[in-house]
Amino acid sequence: MRDDSLATAWAPYEPTGSAPWTLARVAHLHRRAGFAAAWHVLQRDLRDGPDAAIARILGGEVIAETTPRDFESLARTIGDAAVGSDNPARLKAWWVYRMLATPDPLGERLTLMWHNHFATSNRKVQNPALMYAQNELFRRRARGSFSDLLLSVVKHPAMLLWLDAESNRKGHPNENLARELMELFTLGVGHYTEDDVKEAARALTGWTVKNREFREAAAYHDDAEKTILGQRGSWRGDDLVAILMDEPATAMRLARRVCELLMGEGLIEDHAIAELADGLRQRKLDVGWAVEKVLRSAAFFADRNIGNRVQAPAEYIVGAVRALEIVEPPPSTMGLAEWMGAMGQDLFEPPNVFGWAGGRSWINSRSLIARGNFAQRLADGSLQSAAGRADWRVLAERRGCGNDAHDFGRFLGQTVWAGQSDEEVTRVKQTVLGEDTTLSPDNARRLVAAMLGSPRAQLG
Amino acid sequence: MAKLSRRNLLKRSSLIALAPTVPGFLTRLARAVEAKADDRVLVVVQLDGGNDGINTVVPYRDEGYSKHRQRLRLPTERLCKLDEDVALHPSMQSVADLFHKQRLAIVQGVGYPNPNRSHDVSMAIWHTARFDRAEHKSIGWLGRALDQLPSPLGAPGAMLVGGGVLPTAVLGRRAVAGNFSRLDELAVQNVSARSAATGDGSDGELEAFVRRATLDTYTTADAVAAATARERGKATYPANPLAQYLSMVARLIEAELPTRVYYVVQSGYDTHATQIDTHARLLSELSGALAAFVNDLADAKLAERVLVMTFSEFGRRVEENASAGTDHGTVGPMFLAGGGVRGGMFGETPRLLDLDAGDLKMSLDFRRVYAAVLRDWLNLNPESVLAGNFEPLNVLSGAQS
Repeated sequence: MRDDSLATAWAPYEPTGSAPWTLARVAHLHRRAGFAAAWHVLQRDLRDGPDAAIARILGGEVIAETTPRDFESLARTIGDAAVGSDNPARLKAWWVYRMLATPDPLGERLTLMWHNHFATSNRKVQNPALMYAQNELFRRRARGSFSDLLLSVVKHPAMLLWLDAESNRKGHPNENLARELMELFTLGVGHYTEDDVKEAARALTGWTVKNREFREAAAYHDDAEKTILGQRGSWRGDDLVAILMDEPATAMRLARRVCELLMGEGLIEDHAIAELADGLRQRKLDVGWAVEKVLRSAAFFADRNIGNRVQAPAEYIVGAVRALEIVEPPPSTMGLAEWMGAMGQDLFEPPNVFGWAGGRSWINSRSLIARGNFAQRLADGSLQSAAGRADWRVLAERRGCGNDAHDFGRFLGQTVWAGQSDEEVTRVKQTVLGEDTTLSPDNARRLVAAMLGSPRAQLG
Repeated sequence: MAKLSRRNLLKRSSLIALAPTVPGFLTRLARAVEAKADDRVLVVVQLDGGNDGINTVVPYRDEGYSKHRQRLRLPTERLCKLDEDVALHPSMQSVADLFHKQRLAIVQGVGYPNPNRSHDVSMAIWHTARFDRAEHKSIGWLGRALDQLPSPLGAPGAMLVGGGVLPTAVLGRRAVAGNFSRLDELAVQNVSARSAATGDGSDGELEAFVRRATLDTYTTADAVAAATARERGKATYPANPLAQYLSMVARLIEAELPTRVYYVVQSGYDTHATQIDTHARLLSELSGALAAFVNDLADAKLAERVLVMTFSEFGRRVEENASAGTDHGTVGPMFLAGGGVRGGMFGETPRLLDLDAGDLKMSLDFRRVYAAVLRDWLNLNPESVLAGNFEPLNVLSGAQS
């Protein structure tokens, strides 16, 4: 499914002399489009080449060691139990379970992207069942037409409650939903006026929630004519959405979101976004198409796109657990969700309608201490059990790193760091262990703590 | 003794000699610290449940006091006299001392028109400065204020210290509010990573940014740990939760976290039955905590930068009930201390014989106090935050840069 005839910003990646298919590039694919990967998975994808590796990311695959056979039904059971318990912490733990064990990590990354884009907080909604349902909407419609996704999300009770839709009535407007629909979900700032917001709010009157379900209450609907973005008519909510879908600014904003998911700092260029937006408009805003287009591109796989952004807490935490094969015993998913919160990414509770700013804003005193302390706990083994006596030699032996501290250090560099750097590995190993090269359990734990807690490990 | 400022610690740190990338960042940091004219902090202490203002700031000479309060009447000789009209509850000697030293303002009779007696609704009104229920869940007055100020780098604009749900008051549209429960959230446990934290200058730009931020974080953590040890040595704070939270706030301010608003909550004021002992204990905790905090800030030379304000969602009924308690009332007092506060009494002393269906009459709209904080402390235009024009109470000594 290659569109080579289109403009050049997203020309497909071909492994060449200047951009060979290396372990670093394989690891980059998994870090950016998934939640990192274990050593043997990286090695296999290195052997099998980019086409196979990309196909597995796009289509998902069952990895024996991490995906249970009946994953979907297991996940659903955990989700239902979480909702039934009415405990938000268990809902977070459910999502962490999905991230850890899913055969489709790209799907979970997209779900996170939509959770951020349509930022809705349970702190106000106060209803885990609705938050769960919204989350499943994100997941099921993550890669389809954006119009379908938007319509279903904006009519879902979680969103309607979050943005005070029921307070928006004929003669008694509440602009919250209209404003966020235009500023955050579609056009973006600068592509509409305050009058557009007022008129859009009128179009949305009547959208309400009854018995936790969407209802259109005709009595509350202002059915007079409105002028929105220069178009006049007796617009209702669905009409408003259709108008917004047609606006070029919506396609641009969508293209930018896809780029933000897959491209790092300084590489999201206007002309590239414009090309992607054009392609989206020709394909009824098909998000899956845009994701694949970027993922297959030379720009995505370029050296300068490797390790050039800060990993979000979910990526850092789940990535570490997956890369270092922390499966038996499994870590507490509730605990991992708490670590995410400590690092500033509380699932189902974005700080405000703008979601998480992301990027360098993930880096601050408290989050850095949390990241470092998390790495220490993971290294000790206390994510898995209170006793916490991890013996990393088991992993080292399984993956053929011998019993040499330096080799284990290099292994860690290839699994939990973005990009290659033997000198930095040597420097860290030297600082932490001195001249000692034995891979004693103590030395191994110190190395894991140092490597995973280093500045470089925060990048992805 | 030199103030334990982040700058001072950085100057003394040996890390600087080893890390070529650090000095540049430090210079910018030092300039940023000096350039900050607006590093004022607001600390809000919320008294949860409806504090009985009459037994807090007692109008002891009012004939209505002994008429309406028999079992709950506090004997005059035990009160902490403030002036000829009012005295503080016997548990509040430390706060009375602050008052006599002109370091405390007491605003009396604070409320709003058409008082609401539901905890949730009245608290929401105080949090949002709005009366429409539709506006009670999303954005608060401090959130609106913070939305108008530049976002602090690397820290939330507002922090709830102590456990619990973030109060609506601090929720903004763009502003970020966070939780802080224990000082050991700032304790560095990854010793191995710390030992390898100073790079060799070979980093790419983003990695260098993270490395500098990491080193700076260790310095902040050390500053908080040192300040905490210093404070523990002096043991100025009583051992109650509110005092511990305020102590944490003092440490965080001292460690130069750029957070602008701290919010702490003291629960338990909904004294429907056998009020005497409960209320005495609560006010003792409040008084001890508040005085320790204000004195601690003065000691750390932070007094000019920090304004403390207490409030409750309503006062209680004038007449005691049959269970030796009081039911939900209307107006109550607010305390303000710290930066630029004009010491003294504000508002009118409630008259216990001139009631409105058994409740105290309002002398001052709470939004006038908010307006003073917004205009004279945070240098903001109060109107957009308060959705109206409220004359700022003259309780702060004006904007100082």
